[in-house]
Amino acid sequence: MGDVISVLTDNFDEFLAGFWVTVRLVVFAFAIAMVVGTLVAALRITPNKWLQRLGGVYVETFRNVPLLVLLFISFAGLRRAGVDIGPWTAGIASLGLYTAAYVAEALRSGVFSVSKGQIEAALSLGYTYGQALRRVVFPQAFRTVISPLGSLIIAMIKNSAIIGVSLLALDDLLKTARVVQSRTFETNETFFWAAAGYLLLTVSATFAIRSLEKRYAIHR
Amino acid sequence: MKNARWALLLVLVLGLFAAACGDDDEEPTGGGAEPAAEVEEFPADTTMGRIQEAGEIKIGVKYDVPPFGFKNPQNNEIEGFDVDFGKAVADKLGVEPNYVEAISDNRIPFLADGTVDLVLSTMTINAERAQEIEFSEPYYIAQGRILVPQDSDITGVDSLGGTKVCTALGSTYEATLKEQAPEADLRLVDTYSECLELVQNGAVDAVSTDDVILTGMIIQDDTLKLTEGEPLSTEPYGGGIKKGDTEFKEFVDGVLEEYKSGGGWTEAYEKWVGQYTGEEQEPPTMTLEEAIEATS
Amino acid sequence: MNYVFNPDNWEWLVTGNNARFIFEGFLVNLEIAVIAMVLSLIAGLALALARLSLWKPLSVAAGTWVDVWRNLPLIFIILYLALSVPGSWRNAYEDTIPSWFPEGLQSGRVLAAILGLVLYNSAVLAEIMRAGIQSLDRGQNEAARALGMSYRQSMRMVVLPQGLRRMVPATVSQLITLNKDTTLVSIVAIQEVMRHGRIVTGANFFGGVQAPVLQVFLFVGLLFVLVNLALSRLSRRLEVRERKRTAVGTVKRVRGLEEQAV
Repeated sequence: MGDVISVLTDNFDEFLAGFWVTVRLVVFAFAIAMVVGTLVAALRITPNKWLQRLGGVYVETFRNVPLLVLLFISFAGLRRAGVDIGPWTAGIASLGLYTAAYVAEALRSGVFSVSKGQIEAALSLGYTYGQALRRVVFPQAFRTVISPLGSLIIAMIKNSAIIGVSLLALDDLLKTARVVQSRTFETNETFFWAAAGYLLLTVSATFAIRSLEKRYAIHR
Repeated sequence: MKNARWALLLVLVLGLFAAACGDDDEEPTGGGAEPAAEVEEFPADTTMGRIQEAGEIKIGVKYDVPPFGFKNPQNNEIEGFDVDFGKAVADKLGVEPNYVEAISDNRIPFLADGTVDLVLSTMTINAERAQEIEFSEPYYIAQGRILVPQDSDITGVDSLGGTKVCTALGSTYEATLKEQAPEADLRLVDTYSECLELVQNGAVDAVSTDDVILTGMIIQDDTLKLTEGEPLSTEPYGGGIKKGDTEFKEFVDGVLEEYKSGGGWTEAYEKWVGQYTGEEQEPPTMTLEEAIEATS
Repeated sequence: MNYVFNPDNWEWLVTGNNARFIFEGFLVNLEIAVIAMVLSLIAGLALALARLSLWKPLSVAAGTWVDVWRNLPLIFIILYLALSVPGSWRNAYEDTIPSWFPEGLQSGRVLAAILGLVLYNSAVLAEIMRAGIQSLDRGQNEAARALGMSYRQSMRMVVLPQGLRRMVPATVSQLITLNKDTTLVSIVAIQEVMRHGRIVTGANFFGGVQAPVLQVFLFVGLLFVLVNLALSRLSRRLEVRERKRTAVGTVKRVRGLEEQAV
């Protein structure tokens, strides 16, 4: 069992590099997911039927397609079609756009949780619809969505592992563990450290979300 | 709402219809030699005897490395040079071969835990692997080469510095490339079909592995070529057998000898490699010891 | 854009065996999903009940188990099991699986895949079920106890049926996710739709038509979207029916903000 420690210390640089790749993937993908997700949520709640439908199509497509298929399409598929997209871009974009569909839904339900009276009051005070959304609805909605968004971050941490095993060939934490394992044949030890890395990320994220919730969340 | 459900129904019905109402085959045998007229019975406590009892021999082959082991989508059959040799072994035992996909990563564990009885999946003989498993005598000598697009500037292993080179996770080329081209950016993937995809769409600049695997890629896409220059390595392929099972190893070696001297080897070579490369080759005469020497 | 819709690039769909080959692979995914779901539901229910047990050690142990598996990437679990499931288990699997089972599921590697899927999904479902049960108004349990039912009787006849029914939408949603997750088993060399799609793209070796990667996987994606969409529509129907039955919640109509079931 002394192997367990030595597997980490002998390959520490590799493991650390893999860990950071995972972190970077999650952070950048989350940024994309938030931006695109907000846009799509906005589409979904406008009064315009066609924009609503557009948002709906986005959500239904990206929620029902497997991430691995998306990775193949965005990397192999697009490159064959002539688009010079690199593995990082493809990976972050796929994970981001995929999660954006869920972000959009979370934001949308957050908005609905704000009572209708708020909008009416804002409108009667002379706000335009857009202003009412921005200044009254969204800030309150935001506080309701901390928890669901938190779960999405944790889901992203787990989904990032899929990027590493796909043909994008990025060396994230799981990939690094596999590379070390194929060299040293120490299956249990290498996977133990990979598990530790992922749990470190998900548990920290959980704690961070919970403390944010305590500070800001509205419980309805 | 209704449309989606009808579409689903249609898809499922089509799929089920197609899948069920068609060749209900198990992995059929690869093409090749006639079954032996006479089959030697082996004692029940040997691997051969156990296989004969079971009525089938489980052979690990590649499913995506033409022309050595691949699944032909047009007829769902497993075919290739490795497959044909496996058939020869099965025929000698008088059983049917049951092919299992063995990727580079899991083929040795598959032997250790009995998932397969024999591994014939373009596996290079080397000292490290010889510690985990038994090897048969070499049944094919491949060479490590580099594959690039036709218009590439790369001319050989020396010009790989700074380029992205693809090879399979768990293959011997990981170490070989690190040694011979330390400046190269190594991209490791699960299967060579992914490497092919990556070099075809430009995500990597080169693929390095055994020349026969590369030839299989060129057959699929003739805008690729092998670089000139010294081979990176000599890659004698050996059949993989569970560690300690020297009886079975000797049996397989016996089959190999017959295969080579009886013309089966040359036939298979011509069918799977020769007709595409236009080259000819003699059956290998290298011994296992020489092979381990050559790859260390 | 032309590339995407160019009919030449879609020719592979109607030639040779390609479409059927992909369907066959997709069928394997669906089969694995169904089996894993059934097993996960059973295991998940057991875990959820263990979590709610009044006996502390059991509930803590179950809780830890659930939290560990839920927080690991599913692909990690599958890869690890693929490398470490003993051959004896694999052989036992191959021996016990009936021959009328589909061909794609005959191999022992499927055991690792299904085990991984079940370990992960049962943990997720356990949490969903626990939330459902606990979301039930405490009054229900108290009323049942007041009527003289034991804890177990109250659970069995009052709490569980209602709590689990509430969890149907979340469970179907998890089934959709499970459906998508079955693509991950391609990494451990199981011959399902991703592998078959990849083989089809290399098909011109076999005298077939050039099948471009983009189109093949757009098609694969479409298959998943269709099946999963149908599942989610089904779930919404069930939900609406449920709400009509129990008369919980009302339907609101605000211009621009549609009614939303939370």
